[in-house]
Amino acid sequence: MTTTFITALSTDTPSTGTPAEPLHVDVLTDRCAGCQECVVRCPTGALTLEPGSWTAVADDARCVGCRQCVRTCPFAAITVSGPMLAGERVATGVHSPPSLLGDLGETRVGLLGGADALAEANRCLSCPDPTCVRGCPAHNDIPAFIAAVRDADLALAHRIIRRTSFLPDVCSRVCDQALQCEGACTWSLAGGTPVAIGALERYIADAAPLPPLEAEGDTGADMAVVVVGSGPAGAGAAFELVRSGASVTVLEARDRPGGLLDWGIPAFTLPADVARRPWEDLLAAGVELHCGVEVTAADIDELLGCYDAVILAHGAGLPLRLPIPGADLDGVCDATQFLQDAQAALQRGEPSQLLPSPEGDGEPPTVLVVGAGNTAMDVARLARRLGARAICVDWLDRRFAPVRPDELAEAADEGVDIRFLTTVQRLEGDDGRVTTAVFDETAQSDAGSKPKTVRRAAQREAVDLVVMAMGYRADPALSGQPPVARRATGLPSRRVQASGLLAAGAPAFARHQPIGQLVLGRATAETIAGLGIRDRLFVAGDALVGPSTVVEAMAQGRRAARAAVERRVHRPDRVPSGVEPRVLVAWESRGGHTEAVGRELAEALGRRHAQVRTLPLRDVTLTDLAAADLVVLGTWVEGFVVAGVRPARATTAWLRQLPGLGATRFALYCTYAVDPKGALDRLRQDVEAKGATVVAEATFGRHRRRGDVEIFTDRLLGGLGSGGGVANPAVGGQALGSVVGSRPISAAS
Amino acid sequence: MWPVTILEEGSQPIVRTDADPVGVAVHLRPPVRSHMEERFGPTDPPRMLDVARHPRVARLLRSRKLQFALILPNQIVFWVVIFVGALGTAIPGLNFGTAITWYVWFCLVFVMMVVVGRAWCSMCPFGGFAEWIQRRTLWGRAQRRLGLGLKLPESVAQYGFISSVGAFLLLTWIEEYFNIAGPGRPIATSIMVLGIVTSALVFFLVFERRTFCRYFCPLTALIGTVGAMGSVAGFRTRDRDACISCATKDCMRGGEEGYGCPWYTWPGSADSNLSCGLCSECYKSCPSGNVGLYLQPPLTSVVAPTRRRADVAWAVAILWGLVVYQQVNATSIFATVDSWLNRQIGIGYPNPVDYIGIIAAVAVITAGLVALVAVATRRSNLPAPTKGRFLERTSPYRSYFLPMMYGIIPVVGADYFARQLPKFLAHAPRVVPAAGHLVTLGSTHSGLYTLHIANNPAIVAVQVAVMAAGTLASIWAMWRISGRELVPVAARPVAARFAAVALPVAFGVAASLLYVIMHAAQ
Repeated sequence: MTTTFITALSTDTPSTGTPAEPLHVDVLTDRCAGCQECVVRCPTGALTLEPGSWTAVADDARCVGCRQCVRTCPFAAITVSGPMLAGERVATGVHSPPSLLGDLGETRVGLLGGADALAEANRCLSCPDPTCVRGCPAHNDIPAFIAAVRDADLALAHRIIRRTSFLPDVCSRVCDQALQCEGACTWSLAGGTPVAIGALERYIADAAPLPPLEAEGDTGADMAVVVVGSGPAGAGAAFELVRSGASVTVLEARDRPGGLLDWGIPAFTLPADVARRPWEDLLAAGVELHCGVEVTAADIDELLGCYDAVILAHGAGLPLRLPIPGADLDGVCDATQFLQDAQAALQRGEPSQLLPSPEGDGEPPTVLVVGAGNTAMDVARLARRLGARAICVDWLDRRFAPVRPDELAEAADEGVDIRFLTTVQRLEGDDGRVTTAVFDETAQSDAGSKPKTVRRAAQREAVDLVVMAMGYRADPALSGQPPVARRATGLPSRRVQASGLLAAGAPAFARHQPIGQLVLGRATAETIAGLGIRDRLFVAGDALVGPSTVVEAMAQGRRAARAAVERRVHRPDRVPSGVEPRVLVAWESRGGHTEAVGRELAEALGRRHAQVRTLPLRDVTLTDLAAADLVVLGTWVEGFVVAGVRPARATTAWLRQLPGLGATRFALYCTYAVDPKGALDRLRQDVEAKGATVVAEATFGRHRRRGDVEIFTDRLLGGLGSGGGVANPAVGGQALGSVVGSRPISAAS
Repeated sequence: MWPVTILEEGSQPIVRTDADPVGVAVHLRPPVRSHMEERFGPTDPPRMLDVARHPRVARLLRSRKLQFALILPNQIVFWVVIFVGALGTAIPGLNFGTAITWYVWFCLVFVMMVVVGRAWCSMCPFGGFAEWIQRRTLWGRAQRRLGLGLKLPESVAQYGFISSVGAFLLLTWIEEYFNIAGPGRPIATSIMVLGIVTSALVFFLVFERRTFCRYFCPLTALIGTVGAMGSVAGFRTRDRDACISCATKDCMRGGEEGYGCPWYTWPGSADSNLSCGLCSECYKSCPSGNVGLYLQPPLTSVVAPTRRRADVAWAVAILWGLVVYQQVNATSIFATVDSWLNRQIGIGYPNPVDYIGIIAAVAVITAGLVALVAVATRRSNLPAPTKGRFLERTSPYRSYFLPMMYGIIPVVGADYFARQLPKFLAHAPRVVPAAGHLVTLGSTHSGLYTLHIANNPAIVAVQVAVMAAGTLASIWAMWRISGRELVPVAARPVAARFAAVALPVAFGVAASLLYVIMHAAQ
């Protein structure tokens, strides 16, 4: 079916073939086991199973050369030679203003119309196991919304995107698609040109109105949740909470909502009306917003007392500064200051307060931007729009710089002087104000190595303003923990592995970064966002992982909010009604006794209307933990009567390798032969060291009494739903007033 | 699994689970499930023969240390062989390296093959040692590997076991040329074992998984084919539907507890024990406990598979040629011919011309006999030959050759076993004084050194009895195979079946006669 979509066939030539070579799929029958991983994933149905030999057979005429079969075959039994039959990618150009001065118009042009969108949509293969969806941090159902574009049903496209994302208009403009959906597109994994997913998403967002935000269920109807921060993570959390019917209060330290979207991204990339839109929708949906409210670590406990859950999404706003001589001179500022000042100046049509006026000879002032990342590009391009000369310096090699190539090219086109392998040695001033920058020359051999200075004081440059734009870091004071690394450890997700995403190399246009590893790292961070750091306290976005991206922050915010709703977390004085707790019973069993007790517990819990899963401990994943209201953890006790008595090493090792388990409740039990001694205490300490709450614990000997398990079951269910009272979402709002004394902002205002 | 969200899209509910955050977007094509019963019905062992159902066996199989525990003793023995062969006494019968290798080990490997299948592969110290290094762990489930991890080019892989047969022929020629297995000088045995270990290590560091064991190990074709007589079916699926629906295929790719199958075998489609190395990795890695360890009636993997492999068929024919050569080379006629050839070419025994010549002649004659049966009995309207890779081609001739070569596996296997018996029966007790000699206790004066379990002509009687048993097994297998696979393609089915059965009878008689002649020559 998909082959009919392909128009204007071009030959994206992979390394394995030449344009003249016809497409040919080779199934190595010696190794093909007939598992059908290729058959179920082939986008065009070119592969099927020959029942006689029970091996895959290919129809070359249907093959389009996407090589998904090559990537997904577990035994590497398929090769494909010949070109990729992908249509030409529709160009989306860049608007180059004739005069930069004062121009805040959007520079990137989307798809020009329905015909272009259709042509680009037709390049999508609608892969049965779409790797692009895994590449998208929000997991948008990309093939489905592209199919809706093909059907010219943009309302459906919006509904599909709305399942997973609240910011299609924003993300389609600011996402680095090369490292996300487009980097994971099956064409790019095969070495070709990906479908312009970002451009199609933008087309949908621009060409049809976004649907109003409204509650889609009542799973969180009796919950009151407070979100600290209104940036992408906060907006994502609020979006998810609104959909679940929860009452949402958002506290924002600045005087306007939006966080990074408001102050951090210039209008030439993200127009102001697009940046404002999410909060207009959230306020219209009933989110209670309080601006100018600074939340400190001391307020967290009080918030937890008033709300069922607290989600910290305060971002990473602390700018990094280069500790060099002269960094404290006047005329040296950080990117946040400059971005806010420059945008305000451009919007008002007035000169910048930070930038000195041109000299008498009319020479434009020179702005030195330290750094050459995306923020630095924004700073330099704003400086150009203010009439200044802009120089960016970065000590990294251009090949390894974490900047979008298109942004780099656009900045260069706009006249920004970008110097890689250059660093600032010192700043010199006159009368306390910076006048000169002295540069060293550096060298960097590979992406993982730190650049080294190879020539000192290689250049000097007269400068009028220096902007430190090397990035930001999260303030750990509020969450009380350092940023979590976006790095997957251990066995990769089996589904990601099966999709073939990890089998592909690193596309050149994605700066040679392996997309599969990026996907796994992002998934890890998202899972951790769902685990929380303390009971009912979650962290999401840049506050959790340090500076990342808008879409990742939104996805983490959503995940944290969903975890809070799905676990039905609640204040101690409130018991949610009519819910069946989800209990995960996990055991580390040696002789079968621990497993037997676990299964007995599971049966008893089932009789009390809990939803129960049972798993050996080694099979329990972070996802399983995040989805459980209560984890019943059982272990056997090792040691010899009096010596070395302790919980099984496998259990403690398993606990040690976990990240924080703040929002998880545990019930613990140990099984023993003679005497458990302090095994249960040690187990509790290990669990509590991860921040989890232990609600019940017990030990079971080999000859346990009838009814012991029932008693334990009652106890642990009691621990899960302790306290009393009636849900009252309004309590949150009233208490907030007493905490921060601010005035809520409504949609009307 | 808890369903987390249920979204309605049109009339079809879409269930998303926490297991896969993108589950809602995944719309895999339905896999083919037709013809499963016809394809696998004859080869699937009964559920009651799944020994992994027993909790103790299951626990054992789940243990990652199981294979390590099997390999370690052999590892120790063979490093002792290497060192003692190089540094120990020069008397072959008293050197532990030569005594254990040639009097006991080779014979035991054959017994294991015939009874179990690839039991030796599960405990092999050569592949085992290389795998420890490749995996960078002795028994753990490491995520990172050492080596290049290349895939074997398909131009080589398409010939399956033929590479292994080539390696076996080369090794046997080297062994004969240097009189290693005689046994001759112990250091030769030491060098040979070290050579195998080194080759295995190189292959393991260059290629992924057990490419060496699957394609290049000199013994893999022999163990694979003769092992088909064995009563262990290997690791197979318990529910094929579940395997086909499995979203992760951890048994192939590797899971939390186990590696992906090092032998490129999927329990979901395994129809014989041909390529199951009994390593239990699939059992460990299966996330749904859907893999069992099955026993099967003897000869099942010879008779039952519906898919016949050309590489196996040619391997059997060539291996038959090799074992016949090993019998013929003990006759006086061969000695005369070989000496004459050696004088002409200037090379010592065995002359490569008669070595390859006899093996090739026997294989070609075997193929020719099959051709005669085919020409005489086949239907005239059989489909024309198809082109393609070596393994994929079909032809009227192959429809006879492939099943008939499977049918002679028992007689070939019996011949190899019988060929090893003299050394075992005559000298196996020497292992005890040889072991004692390591600690200065044993000597050639020991009673065990001169003790023989049996002597000629009793040995020949045992050999002929083994051949008789192998021939009977082959007759039974060939009758069953020909009934199922030759009858549909034969114009004269009864003649085809009798002609097919005549082949192992002739081979069995010929091999038995050769043993008698060999005895007479000695």
